[in-house]
Amino acid sequence: MATDTATAPATTETDHDHPAHLEHHFVSTEQQFDSAKLGMWLFLITEILLFAGMFVAYAVYRQWHPEAFLEASVTLDQFLGTVNTIVLLTSSLTVALSIHYIQKDEQSKSFWSLIATLALAGVFLVIKYFEYTAKFEHGIYPGALFDPHGAKYEPLANIPYVAQFFSIYFVMTGIHGVHVVVGMGIIAWIASRVYRGHFGSDYFTHVELTGLYWHLVDIIWIFLYPMLYLV
Amino acid sequence: MSQGHHIIPQRVLLGVFGSLIVLTGVTYGLAQINLGVLEVPVALAIASTKAVLVVMYFMALKYDNPVNTLTFAVGVIFVGIFITFTLFDTAFRGDIGNVSEQTVREIQREEEELQRRQEALTPEQLRVAPADFENAEPDPEAGTGADADRGGSSGGS
Repeated sequence: MATDTATAPATTETDHDHPAHLEHHFVSTEQQFDSAKLGMWLFLITEILLFAGMFVAYAVYRQWHPEAFLEASVTLDQFLGTVNTIVLLTSSLTVALSIHYIQKDEQSKSFWSLIATLALAGVFLVIKYFEYTAKFEHGIYPGALFDPHGAKYEPLANIPYVAQFFSIYFVMTGIHGVHVVVGMGIIAWIASRVYRGHFGSDYFTHVELTGLYWHLVDIIWIFLYPMLYLV
Repeated sequence: MSQGHHIIPQRVLLGVFGSLIVLTGVTYGLAQINLGVLEVPVALAIASTKAVLVVMYFMALKYDNPVNTLTFAVGVIFVGIFITFTLFDTAFRGDIGNVSEQTVREIQREEEELQRRQEALTPEQLRVAPADFENAEPDPEAGTGADADRGGSSGGS
C-alpha cells in the first residue's frame, strides 16, 4: 500500500501530491478507507452490545415467565410485523445497490437507491406508528401505565408478568426505531452529497459506512421480528 | 488503489435479497404451526441464517479485509458469553442452597407435601393434648358437639 502514493501521483488535484479527499495522516486512499471501515465495525460492535443487553433481558424474563410471553406476543400483529420485515430487507437491498452504483460511478442511480432506502425507512416507521397507536388505544403501555382493556386485551390483565413483555417490546422496538430515525438522517445527508457529486468510484467511504450502519439496523430487526411476533 | 474494491454484482445482491424474503416467508409459515419445543430454536436458526447472509453479502465481509470479520466475530462471541452466563445464573437461580445436600426446589417440594398432608387431616386426628379430648368429649350427646364438628369439618376441607 505504501507504494500507492509513489506510483500513482496522477490523481493530483492541487499542489499537493494526493487526491483532495485523502487526509495527510494516511498513506493512501486505500489505508484511509480501511481505517474508516474498521472504525465503523468497532462502532457497530458497540451497537450490537447495546442491543445485546436488551436481548439478555428478553431471554431472562422469557425463561422465567414463558406463559406470559406466549399470551402477550399473540396480541402483536404478525402481518404488520412481517410486512415491516420485508420493507427493511428491501431497504437493505437498495442501500447495497447504492454502494454498487457509486463504485461504478453511476451517481444518479446511487442517489435514487438512497432515496428509495429513505422512503422504505419512512414506510417502516409509519407502520410502526400504527402498531403502537393500536396498542396505546387499549391501554397497552410500557411499565406502570399498563392497563389493558378491550375485548382482545382484557384477559391479559389477569396474567402476571404480561406487562413485562410489553415493556421489553416497547423498549426494544423503540430503541430500534430511534436507530431507524438516525439512519434516515444520515442517509438523507449522504444522498445529498452523492447528488452534489462528492463521491465516485475512487472515493465512496461515507456511502459504504452508511450502508453498514443501515444493514446493522436491519439485522437487529431480523432478530426482533421472530422473537417478539412469532415465537 | 492497489487492489481496488470488490464490486458485488447486482445478480448476487438480488439473489441474497430473494433468499432473505424466502426465509422470512418460511419463518412466518412455521410460526403458524405448532412446533413445540423446536419453535424457538428453529426461529432463531432462520434469523441467524438471514443475519449471516446480510453480514456476508450486503455488508460484504466475504470480500472484505479479514480484520473486520475478526472484529465482528469477537463482538458476537461476547454477546454469546453475555447471554449464556447470565442464563447460567437466572435459569438455575434457587436450585442449590448452601446448608443442605438437597436442592432448594426439593426442599420446597417436601414442605409443600407436608403442608398438603397436614391439611388433609380431620380435627379428630389432630387431637393430641388431653384438653383436646376433654373439650370434644360431650360431642355424641349434646348439640354443642355437632356445632364443633361442623366447624371442624369445614376447617379440614
